[in-house]
Amino acid sequence: MIEIHNLSKSFGKLEVLKNIDLHINEKEVVVLIGASGSGKSTLLRCLNFLEVAQGGEIFINAEKIDIAKTDLNKVREKVGMVFQHFNLFPHKTVLENIIEAPVFVKKKAKSEAIAKAKELLQKVGLKDKANYYPEQLSGGQKQRVAIARALAMEPKVMLFDEPTSALDPELVGEVLQVMKDLASEGMTMVIVTHEMGFAKEVADRVIMLADGHIIEEGHPNDIFAQPKHERTQRFLNQIL
Amino acid sequence: MVFLQNIADIFSEHGVAFLKASWMTISITAISLLFAMIIGLIFASFKISSNRILNWIADIYIGIIRGTPLIVQIMFLYYGLANIINLDSFTAGALALGVHTGAYIAEIFRGSVQSIDRGQMEAARSLGMSSSLAMRRIIFPQAFKRSIPPLANQFIIGLKDSSLVAYISVTDLYNTALGVQGENYMPFETYFVVGIYYLVIVLIFTWIAKRMEQKMDVSRPKEVSVA
Repeated sequence: MIEIHNLSKSFGKLEVLKNIDLHINEKEVVVLIGASGSGKSTLLRCLNFLEVAQGGEIFINAEKIDIAKTDLNKVREKVGMVFQHFNLFPHKTVLENIIEAPVFVKKKAKSEAIAKAKELLQKVGLKDKANYYPEQLSGGQKQRVAIARALAMEPKVMLFDEPTSALDPELVGEVLQVMKDLASEGMTMVIVTHEMGFAKEVADRVIMLADGHIIEEGHPNDIFAQPKHERTQRFLNQIL
Repeated sequence: MVFLQNIADIFSEHGVAFLKASWMTISITAISLLFAMIIGLIFASFKISSNRILNWIADIYIGIIRGTPLIVQIMFLYYGLANIINLDSFTAGALALGVHTGAYIAEIFRGSVQSIDRGQMEAARSLGMSSSLAMRRIIFPQAFKRSIPPLANQFIIGLKDSSLVAYISVTDLYNTALGVQGENYMPFETYFVVGIYYLVIVLIFTWIAKRMEQKMDVSRPKEVSVA
């Protein structure tokens, strides 16, 4: 599904990712963990080219993505993203947020897009909020709309960048539940999160990053029960 | 009492002339502001563009216009360029005001666009939108709403600055006041009256701008529509 070879990324002199190799299979749920500044969000953002890596190769569905030649807009249609701060369009209603890209990017008929949007809203439990504006929603509701908005493009992969970090604790559960449902439907997902309980339950693989390197990866049971790397142990001790 | 009598006299004697002059002030302002909006949009997009040459052109234009007095720009266009192009006073005045205000409006538009959270562009791009589509559908509508209050402010400044075209003999409000007080030797009362005319126009405009701002504020609707 996604293959990364030798990826490196710097911001000015700061090297954020160093020689990352990663292979994500179809229907796999991969959770990226690591301390702040370890490069996990940057790695995620490289996967839909919001950040452009300086070195290495990225293949999506066996197609090599060449920044200069590949139409990145087409790639992004297939790679949905959910942000920490939701980034809903405040001047549009929930429904308009969801149909925006299907109508203006995919050129779907509006009626078709609306039908699909309503289906997605039902799925994330917000059927009755279609005509609300984002400002009228709670954080958890906003994030569920953001997930529906990304799903409306029918992506092959979903990227989640700390989707629950900006939420009040009592609202975290409803967002995680939507993500669990998505995982059980077989969506390929790459998730940056600090929700270790969720990772344990849902992830097929946990990847630990430190200083721009992948230092350890494996099944959540192994990583959480017997972390091999000393930095993973320290990180998990601090967080759990 | 004498003051009030004088004011009443000025109104009865010159009220119509002042009304006509108000129309002149309003029309030269309106035309110049329309022109300024177009210039503002063009130069704001130059400034936002990633093209260095366009940035540079916008910087030069805005730098020169903001760095020189409006009266100098008006005089330059009307008298200074008389040998090259002979503009009538209304055209020269409207042009000078438009070019002048356009520089400030360009900065207002640029500021509003750049004030939109970066996450908006990222979200739009992550959905497969091209940057121009994202600008058109997501960034500009939010930026435009945000630019209304400073824009209204700039329009009011433009309206009042239009009084300077009196110096190239456009018969606007201020020019009419100059003429009236030259006849009646009552500068206090005459300028008081012309001040009222300006004030009324500005207040009407302010009210319209406020209404517009409320109307465009879709993200904070007063009533929740439930479907």
